[in-house]
Amino acid sequence: MISSHAKDSFERIFRQAAQSRLTVDPNDVCDITPLARDDENVDSEGDVVVLTISSIEFRLILVLHFKEDSSTRDYYVREGSDASFQEVFLEVCNLCCGAMNQSLHEYFPDLGMSTPYVLHARSVTHLDQLKPAYLASHAVTINGTVQLSATVCVCAYAPIDFVANVSAAQETGGELEFF
Amino acid sequence: MTKILVVDDSSTVRDEVAGFLRKNGLAVDTAVDGKDGLGKLKATPGIKLVISDVNMPNMDGLTMVEKIRSELANHAVNVVMLTTESSPAMKERGKAAGVKGWIVKPFKGDAVLEAFKKMAS
Repeated sequence: MISSHAKDSFERIFRQAAQSRLTVDPNDVCDITPLARDDENVDSEGDVVVLTISSIEFRLILVLHFKEDSSTRDYYVREGSDASFQEVFLEVCNLCCGAMNQSLHEYFPDLGMSTPYVLHARSVTHLDQLKPAYLASHAVTINGTVQLSATVCVCAYAPIDFVANVSAAQETGGELEFF
Repeated sequence: MTKILVVDDSSTVRDEVAGFLRKNGLAVDTAVDGKDGLGKLKATPGIKLVISDVNMPNMDGLTMVEKIRSELANHAVNVVMLTTESSPAMKERGKAAGVKGWIVKPFKGDAVLEAFKKMAS
């Protein structure tokens, strides 16, 4: 039900969102490599942050897997901040999914996005039960030290075919639009 | 006297926005969702600007704005939404409720500081 163009578009939209929103500084290096889902690469230990984007045609589930090790904590939590790592990382994930939501709005006007929530990582192994039309996992490495993984799962309720022009997407975040 | 109310369910965003505004000499209070925001607005005269997220538990930001205008009959306070949402339909609902402006996250303080100062004065 999802064309190859659409699968490729979901992939590119995810990559652009991850590179711009999972990094703290625009100059940070973010490497994204595919993970095969039929091997043991998708970690089922620890917690994951889950967000959904829903429309009439599909539901997209973005799962971001994190390890609260010192390099990840030091990267995301500002020095001297009282904030907990999880609270900071939830907002990072919210921004990443929000960027995907903004890109998808170009092609699907009726989208709604959830707030982020935390589940045990074992949940990821059950995504197949949703019979997704597109399911892909990626390893995300930032500056060679921060290691995350991400899974994009799309369940289709109607045929989906679109070609995302992510290279044309403009960085407009942070500007005040007056009404 | 508090002049700006920052409403967001994320403590990270509340700390970032309120911290930036306080560092720039503005008086700020915070609320954790729309319900809390409405209560703080009711209890704190003199708030001139509300900066609010849209998607929050208990009461979302747009419902809060609608209640500010209808239940509190407060048509004077300026409201700016700060959110990941960018859909035209959502913005239209905000506009109809009397939202003054819309910012798509991430927050970039330097880009909006002067406008916030004017709206809070």
